[in-house]
Amino acid sequence: MGGPTGTATDVPTDAAPGDPVQLDALGPRGPFRTRDRLTVADVTGRPVAELSQVPRLFVRRGLSALRAARPADPGALAEVIARAGHAFAHGTVGGLSAPGHQRLVSRVAGVPIAVVRSATARIERAAAEVERTVRGARPTATAGHWRDPLTRGGGAVWARRGDVFAVHAAGNHPGVHSLWLEALMLGYRVAVRPSGREPFTPHRLVTALREAGIGDDRLLLLPTDHHVADDIVRGADLSLVYGGDAVVEKYRAHPNVLTQGPGRSKILLADMGIGEGLVGAGGMASALDTVVSSIQDEAGVACVNATAVLVAGDPAPVAEAIAERLAHLPSLPPEDDKAVLPVCLTADARSLEKYLLGQADGARLHLGGEGIVDELGDGSAVLRPAVIQLDRPDASRLGVELPFPCVWVAPWTPEDGIGPLRNTLVLTVIGRDEQRVGQLVERLVDEPSISNVHVGDHPTHWMAPGVPHDGHLAEFLMRSKAVVR
Amino acid sequence: MAVASDPVLTFPPDQIPDPDEFVQAAMRWHFSPETGSPYWLRRARTLDFDPLRDIRTFDDLRLFPNIVNELRDVPARDLVPQGYGPSAEVIGVYESGGTTGAPKRVAYLADWMDRYVTWSTRRMDERGHPHGAHWLAMIPSGPHLWGEVVARQARRRGGFTSTIDLDPRWVKKCIAEGRADEAGRYVEHLLEQGRFLLETQDIGVLVVTPPLLERLAEHEHLVKLVNEKVRVIIWSGAHMDADSRHLFRTEVFPEVQWFGNYGSTMILCGAVERAGSEEECVFDPFSPHVTFSVVDPGTGRPVPYGARGQVVMNHISRGALFPNNLERDVATRIRPEAGQLGDSVADVSPVRTFDDEVVIEGVY
Repeated sequence: MGGPTGTATDVPTDAAPGDPVQLDALGPRGPFRTRDRLTVADVTGRPVAELSQVPRLFVRRGLSALRAARPADPGALAEVIARAGHAFAHGTVGGLSAPGHQRLVSRVAGVPIAVVRSATARIERAAAEVERTVRGARPTATAGHWRDPLTRGGGAVWARRGDVFAVHAAGNHPGVHSLWLEALMLGYRVAVRPSGREPFTPHRLVTALREAGIGDDRLLLLPTDHHVADDIVRGADLSLVYGGDAVVEKYRAHPNVLTQGPGRSKILLADMGIGEGLVGAGGMASALDTVVSSIQDEAGVACVNATAVLVAGDPAPVAEAIAERLAHLPSLPPEDDKAVLPVCLTADARSLEKYLLGQADGARLHLGGEGIVDELGDGSAVLRPAVIQLDRPDASRLGVELPFPCVWVAPWTPEDGIGPLRNTLVLTVIGRDEQRVGQLVERLVDEPSISNVHVGDHPTHWMAPGVPHDGHLAEFLMRSKAVVR
Repeated sequence: MAVASDPVLTFPPDQIPDPDEFVQAAMRWHFSPETGSPYWLRRARTLDFDPLRDIRTFDDLRLFPNIVNELRDVPARDLVPQGYGPSAEVIGVYESGGTTGAPKRVAYLADWMDRYVTWSTRRMDERGHPHGAHWLAMIPSGPHLWGEVVARQARRRGGFTSTIDLDPRWVKKCIAEGRADEAGRYVEHLLEQGRFLLETQDIGVLVVTPPLLERLAEHEHLVKLVNEKVRVIIWSGAHMDADSRHLFRTEVFPEVQWFGNYGSTMILCGAVERAGSEEECVFDPFSPHVTFSVVDPGTGRPVPYGARGQVVMNHISRGALFPNNLERDVATRIRPEAGQLGDSVADVSPVRTFDDEVVIEGVY
């Protein structure tokens, strides 16, 4: 998932180190602890880890080693990946227990621990089902292996487009690391550049995979600064890069770079007059549940969280109802079992607040008008929800996606068409008029800038292994190759 | 007609002159109307102190303004001390890399080259570097100084020299304009030329920049050739971070001897890697001709030993005077060896911006 990713935590390196966890680079010859290390801090600014920052030479040598390594046998791979996923979710990996790991992730990324736990479960499930997932992405008339009878007299084989795959990971949500397992399964040798903001999850997953039997020369963890990061993309055959609009723009013309950018997920409440229906008791209460859950589940940090809600008719009652629900969420430290909202450094929270209020200027704030920062007293602050009502479907504001439950609610009419719905990762359409919804969905499924369409009470963050999140990764990694024999 | 300078300015290589006498002799040479260069004699009139009267010690050099930016425009001829007379042997006009704007240029006199080559090759002898070896220099030649220095060092040691020319300014331009791929192709072109020599000749000394060596290290074939043949790698021209240095020495070229040089056009030579520098790469300058201090760029005061600061360089010889030059580099301040003036420096790296220009090292 994309979503706002932020950059590496810039903690002064002269801060008292305490006893920080050492996160080594994982090279083709095993762990490598560099002299140059990035301090990783928790949400209060306290240093908790040091992340080795490898130089260009290490990156280049590592990529050469990946290129020289042979792909593993697919049968063995599926088993190794599944075993690693289980160890990742339940075992002690690199000396760290699963609960210990989850707590660290929560404290550093500021993501509620319940969200970290469910992401852990998702990674475990993705690992267990990776073989099925990549098979599901294969074109139906294509064989998985050249020895398949399908190729007798001519047929297509599904083949890799390259050998070395690189990932510039995001740090907003641990769930992003479930995806690249598919590249590994397809025989790619993989280099993961972790985010400096939350390097624990990729470090643990790579370690678990290596412990489970993926060769050290087939999977690397290459933490490095942004100067060297470009070299990873340049040196790999294909890359997956997470980032904001600037990153997406930078790689737009690169056919070998797949970007995962902001999600700008949206919900369309398509029935005229639906606003009043939501507020009253009765049939549409479930729709409100779907809307609220789309905004706040995953603590609002994911690219699949709803950024905008478009309402046929008056948006005010809908905005009001959402605000009422979100107003009661508790402000808690991220590692609290009951935490549901993201936490960050107070200074960072204040910048986000200033940015939001600037963007919301002139609009009606149903929630968040008094600010969204709730300080916890230890240097960290909870980011509280914001609900902003617009008087027209203004695309530039609907695109303002922030890393907490923050939603723009705007009116929409059939005359507005699908313009305001474009550039969306997940679009949920809710309406009782089946004919009208059906016609609309027809156009939405055809619209290239909308990646996923959910019809009815399915929240934007719904995901399942085998169901593509933003296309199948394999569509990017593989191609069909003719074999005649 | 040449004028004899104070012999303290041309002290024998095994004798360390008294620092104050050395500085005062240099001031007399560079600021006397019969011996000083047209540039310095003209420039002295605008100084708010009298070098002959006020510069008595090394610390006093701080009174000088940093004049190196003027070297972008000054006619090179005006930099030659008149004391050399009309037969001054200027072996070249050399330029800085242009990393921080238009190039600076200096007039380079033969007697200084001879002193520097003598000093630096003695360092090589101390380390047991081979005599009579075939050198391969994959470095810039004119307008840069390094190529000329290496050619003379190799000759002094009875060596053959093969050169692959490298234009660092072109590489920097490519990178600045976002054409990193073009820079990459150029580097591959250089490596291909180097490969012919490594394959066919008995190359014993490789002279190279760290970025080029990094790219070379991606080619297992070249790595193998270097490990088989090359006994010494002399590197300079760009910084090498501590982690890369460790990897090069322990993993990539474990059998090869390393000899780093921290060069600058403005000191007309390079400082050399201290023998036995393990964890941190310490550079010692050719004192007292070349001296460093490591300062807090805000206050201009020296930082404590072991702390990082910006490097100030002084060059004082019969052939040139470039005092109190705040360089683009940051480094760790290191205690000097016995008898050396000023600081030694370690773990040199470029500042990110300098005089509002983004610093791009490229392959040089």
